[in-house]
Amino acid sequence: MRRGGILWHGFAGLVLLFMLTPLFILVLFCFSRNALLSFPIAGFTLDWFRKLFEHPQFWPSLRNSLIITVTVGVVSTVAGTMAALATARLRRAWSISLTLLVTLPVMLPPLMLGVALLSYFASIGMRLGLPTVIMSHLVFTQPFVVAIVAARMASFDHAAVESARDLGASRLRAFFNVTLPIIRPSVIGAALIAMALSLDDFVVTLFTIGGGSTLPIFMWGMLRKGVDPTINVIAVLLMLLSIGISLVGLRATRYRG
Amino acid sequence: MRDARSLANLMLLPSGLILVAFFLLPVSYFFVVSFWRVRSYKLQADATLDQYVEVFTGYWVPLLYTFAVALAIALAVTLIAFGFAFYCRFRAGRYGMPLLFLALLTLFGGYLTKIYTWKTILGAEGILNSALMLTGLTDAPITAFLFNPVAVVITLAHYTLPIAILPIFGSLRGIDEVPLDAARDLGAGPCRSFRDVVLPQAWPGLVTAFALTFLFAAGDYVTPMLVGGPNTSMIGVFIQSQFGHRVDAPLGSAMSFTVIALSLAVILGFAGTTRYFTRVR
Repeated sequence: MRRGGILWHGFAGLVLLFMLTPLFILVLFCFSRNALLSFPIAGFTLDWFRKLFEHPQFWPSLRNSLIITVTVGVVSTVAGTMAALATARLRRAWSISLTLLVTLPVMLPPLMLGVALLSYFASIGMRLGLPTVIMSHLVFTQPFVVAIVAARMASFDHAAVESARDLGASRLRAFFNVTLPIIRPSVIGAALIAMALSLDDFVVTLFTIGGGSTLPIFMWGMLRKGVDPTINVIAVLLMLLSIGISLVGLRATRYRG
Repeated sequence: MRDARSLANLMLLPSGLILVAFFLLPVSYFFVVSFWRVRSYKLQADATLDQYVEVFTGYWVPLLYTFAVALAIALAVTLIAFGFAFYCRFRAGRYGMPLLFLALLTLFGGYLTKIYTWKTILGAEGILNSALMLTGLTDAPITAFLFNPVAVVITLAHYTLPIAILPIFGSLRGIDEVPLDAARDLGAGPCRSFRDVVLPQAWPGLVTAFALTFLFAAGDYVTPMLVGGPNTSMIGVFIQSQFGHRVDAPLGSAMSFTVIALSLAVILGFAGTTRYFTRVR
């Protein structure tokens, strides 16, 4: 097809401008001396960072966020990858319906998932805390792991695994020496998406954490009081954390070649 | 062979446990609760449709409002996302992938972050107003930017746009150049090949994008709470409040399942209508 005219370029430019400008503004006002988020900018400062790091609730929230994110990343990657590998061996109709079943939670808006889990935990007498948050995050992160790894397994050549088995490798050994190295980039990519989703989640966490705090919950508490540049700093830290997670993952995938 | 099957079952176990224990059981229990009632602040098992009657008699205004807003967002976002994905795939040449990457970078923006940012941009003492006053375009702050349905639509559209671009681009990427060239060689104009080659293949991506965006918008409550203003309460705000100070789980549950059922109907309607217009003729 022919290349676009001026209208096409203009449209795409506007879409990108709409998507990127708010995030640019967010970062800009982390460093602005103004207490209100408005122009003109009176000068630049790192005070908002200091103010955030001195906040008594910041470090516990960061700690909780990291515990939840890492646990959810590991558990949902292991469980989801195992499920994707198992469905890859099944007949097509079975594997499709199983994958659909596992990805069902994605269709439920976070608010409904959150209040359903809250009622359920209350009915079975489970105390809310980090464990209940982790269980809840597994529900909506696992579908992404299954979908990503299953997509990779669709074009997987089983011959290599079979020859390893014929040469006397145990199932476990064939998995770690043949299957895993081949699908590693997809598995790591899936883990990162799971972690990024978990780190950013606010709604489900709010209903299942009880009294504790994570970075988004901490941010919520502050932004209910009003606009404050320290909120920009938390937001940017969250963004850097999720981009950082991805960069580490990209390196890990390249590292093994 | 039996050995392999039992191994497959074993490997499905952790995933199945998570699905059953933390999704199917909670959601089923929550559905049953919608037929219960609350007496003197305590949940009581019952088999009543009172909650659903209450939803349709007492909350039809926010329900209608929610679906109008969600439909506006889902249609606009699906259309814009399709345009952008189409541009990146067919019209941008070698800049297509970098531009797509830039757009998808905003997936890292964060949910609360994006809502908060729009609040700071649109507020009376906010960034847009101060910029307008600085440039002399206005001399008093315009309060009409924030706390209205348009602010809700803009904020939710900004959040869902990259999520919608992803599946649409996925379906456009699968389109082979060969049938496009063949269509042109056989004398089809750009409109014809767009209708007969591109649209039918883009359809699954369009439906996925619409469904994700619609469900997200219909179920959201943080955006209307922070940028929507007092007269524009979406149903999510009412659902959420049944689990805060009101503690009426049956009503909240009935509201939730009403929203989900109606959303599915809208999504099926969209899928059916668009299938009719995008089918290969």
